[in-house]
Amino acid sequence: MKKLLALLFSLTFVMNSATAAEKITIGLAVDQLFESRVAENDAIKDEAAKRGYSVIEVVADGDAQTQNQQIQSLITQGVKAILVCAVDQNTIERALMAADRAGIAIVAYDRSLAKSRVVDTFVGPDSLADGRLAGAYTAKQLAKVKGEKVIVELIGALNDQNGIDRSKGFREAIEGLDNVKLIEVPTDWDSARALSGTQNAFQANPIVHSVFAATDTHIPSVETVLTDLGKLKPAGTDGHVVITGINGSLDGYQATSKGIADGIVVMNLDKIGRTAVDLAEKLINGETVERRNVVSGNFYTTDNIQQHKDAIWGAK
Amino acid sequence: MKSTLNSIISKQKWLPIALANMVFAALLAIVSPVFLTLSNFQSMLIQSGVTAIMAIGMTFIIITAGIDISMGAILFFCSALFAQLLQDTQSYWLAFSAAIACATLLGTINGVLVTRFKISPLITTLATYSIYRGMAIHLTGAQNIPVPREMGFLGNGKLFGLPVPIILLIVIFILGVYLLNHTRLGLYAKAIGSSARSANESNLPVTKVTVAVYAIGGMVTGISALILLARVGGLQSGIGIGIEFTVIAAVILGGTKLTGGSGTIVGSVFGAFFLVLIDNGLNLVNASPYIYDIVRGSVLLAAVAVDRLSAKRQESRLIQIKKQRLEHNHATN
Repeated sequence: MKKLLALLFSLTFVMNSATAAEKITIGLAVDQLFESRVAENDAIKDEAAKRGYSVIEVVADGDAQTQNQQIQSLITQGVKAILVCAVDQNTIERALMAADRAGIAIVAYDRSLAKSRVVDTFVGPDSLADGRLAGAYTAKQLAKVKGEKVIVELIGALNDQNGIDRSKGFREAIEGLDNVKLIEVPTDWDSARALSGTQNAFQANPIVHSVFAATDTHIPSVETVLTDLGKLKPAGTDGHVVITGINGSLDGYQATSKGIADGIVVMNLDKIGRTAVDLAEKLINGETVERRNVVSGNFYTTDNIQQHKDAIWGAK
Repeated sequence: MKSTLNSIISKQKWLPIALANMVFAALLAIVSPVFLTLSNFQSMLIQSGVTAIMAIGMTFIIITAGIDISMGAILFFCSALFAQLLQDTQSYWLAFSAAIACATLLGTINGVLVTRFKISPLITTLATYSIYRGMAIHLTGAQNIPVPREMGFLGNGKLFGLPVPIILLIVIFILGVYLLNHTRLGLYAKAIGSSARSANESNLPVTKVTVAVYAIGGMVTGISALILLARVGGLQSGIGIGIEFTVIAAVILGGTKLTGGSGTIVGSVFGAFFLVLIDNGLNLVNASPYIYDIVRGSVLLAAVAVDRLSAKRQESRLIQIKKQRLEHNHATN
C-alpha cells in the first residue's frame, strides 16, 4: 500500500513538473484600468491563451512605486516575459534592469519607454500619425473659412507621450492653414476638466470653428457645451463646429454616427495587444525583433463609421 | 477703523474670499471684454456647481475636525451604480434613488468607522477611497457607460429660466446654511471641532453628529455625481477621482479651518467659485496649459499663508489682551 502511494505521489509530481515546464508564464504589468487599456489587455490575454501561455496580470492603479514592486514580484514568480505599460519610466527602470539581468524579455506596450536601456521592444499606437489624420481632416474642412480660424484643442495629460504626439501630429497637419488661433485646453484625460475647459474656451471665443479632442471620450462634454450655447448643429449644416477625436470609444462612435462629431481616429488596440504577445514569444525564442513597432489608426467619418462598426473596439 | 475691519473679518470668515473673488473678477473684466457677460457668469456658476455642492458637505466634515478623502471615490462609485442600473433596468427612479441612497450609505460608513474605531479620518477615508474606487471598477469592469441625452436635463436643463445645476446648488446652499447656523447639528459640529474632548465631557452626541456630517457629505456627493454624469454624457473610468482635493481647497479658501471648530458654507461656495474663476481667467487670456496647476497651487498656498498669519495675529492679540487684564487685576488688587 505504501509503495502504491509513493508511486502515485511520484507520478503526480512528475506530471506536474512536466506541465510546469511546458507552460510558459507571461507577466502583464498594467498602469491602470480604463476602457481602452482593458480592450488592449483583453487582446493580450486572448492571444496568450491561444498560444498556450498563462498570464499573471498586475495593475498599479497609476502608482509608479506600486508598479516597481509588482515587476519585482513578477521576476520572483519566474515569468519568461514582461509586457509593461509604464506609469513612469524613471521609477520602474531599476525593476526592469533586474528583469533584464534575470533573462526576462521586456516588451513595452502602448506607452513607449524610449529612454530605457533594457526594454527589448515597443508596440503601441502611432500617435503622431493619428494626430495628423485628425488634423488633415480639420484643415480640409476649415480651408473654406475666411478670416481667423479658431480651433479648440483638448489636450491630454501633459506628461503622456501619446497625448503629446497626438497634439504634435494634429498641429503639423494644420500648419498649412493660415490665420489660425489655437486655444489649448489642458484636460489631464479628465472629462470634467475637458467640460469646464471647453466652456471657458467658448466663452472667451464666441466663434469657434473646430474642436480637436485628444480622446474622443471628451466629445460628449463638447456636446453638452454646444447644447448649453444653442450651437449644436449636425455635420454638414450651417454653423456646424467641426469636431474630431482620437481613440475609438463608444462615445466617439455614437457622436460620429449622430453627426455631432465629424470623425474619429480609431486605434487598432486588438492588433497592438496581439503584436505584444507575438513579440514576447519571438524574444523568448531568441529571435531578433524590431525595436519600435507602431500601429496606425484609421479615420472614420459620419459617412462611413457605421459600415466599419466591427473595426471600432468601443462599439463591439 | 482698522480694528473694526479686523473685527468684521474675524467674524465673517467668508469675507476675504468674497473680496478676493471681487478683485480677481475686476481684473479679468479689464483684461477681457467677454468676462462681464451674463453667459460667462452663468457658465462659471454651472462649472462651480459640482465642486460647490460637495464643498458644502465637506465644510460640515472639516468643521468637526474631520476630512473625507474618499469623496471622489464615492462620486465615482455612485456614477457607476447609476449608469449601470440605468443601462440594465431603464428606470431613472430606481437608478437615481439607489445612487443617492448608496452615496449616503458610503458617507455613513466613513462616519461610523471614524467614530467607532477612533482612527484618524484621513487614514480611514484614504482606506475607503481605495475600497470604493475598487468597487466602482469592479462593478463596471472599467468600461465607459454612456447615459441617455435626456439625462442631460440634470446637467443643462432649465427650470424657471435657471439652469438645473444652479437651482440644485441654491437649494443645497440654503439647506446647508440653515443646518449649520440654525440647528443643534451645526452647533454641536462646531463644538466637536473645537474640542472633541470637551464635547464628550458635556455629553454632546458626538458619535451621532460625526456620523451625520459624513452622511451629509456622502449624500451631496451623490447629487454632484449625477450632475457631473449628466454633463459629461456618461460614466468614464476614474470620473471624479482627485476632485476631493479641489473640494478641500475650496473649503480652505473659504476660511474654514482644517483644525475644525469654525467655518462657513458661504465661504466654501465662494471658494469653489474662486477656483473656477482662476481657470476661467487663465482661459480668457489663453494662458499656457503648463501654468494652470502652478497658478492654482500658488493661490491655495497664498490663501493658507494669509489664514495662518491672521490666525497668529489674532492669537497674539488675545495673549496681549489677557496679559493686560492680568496686569490690570494685579494693579487693582
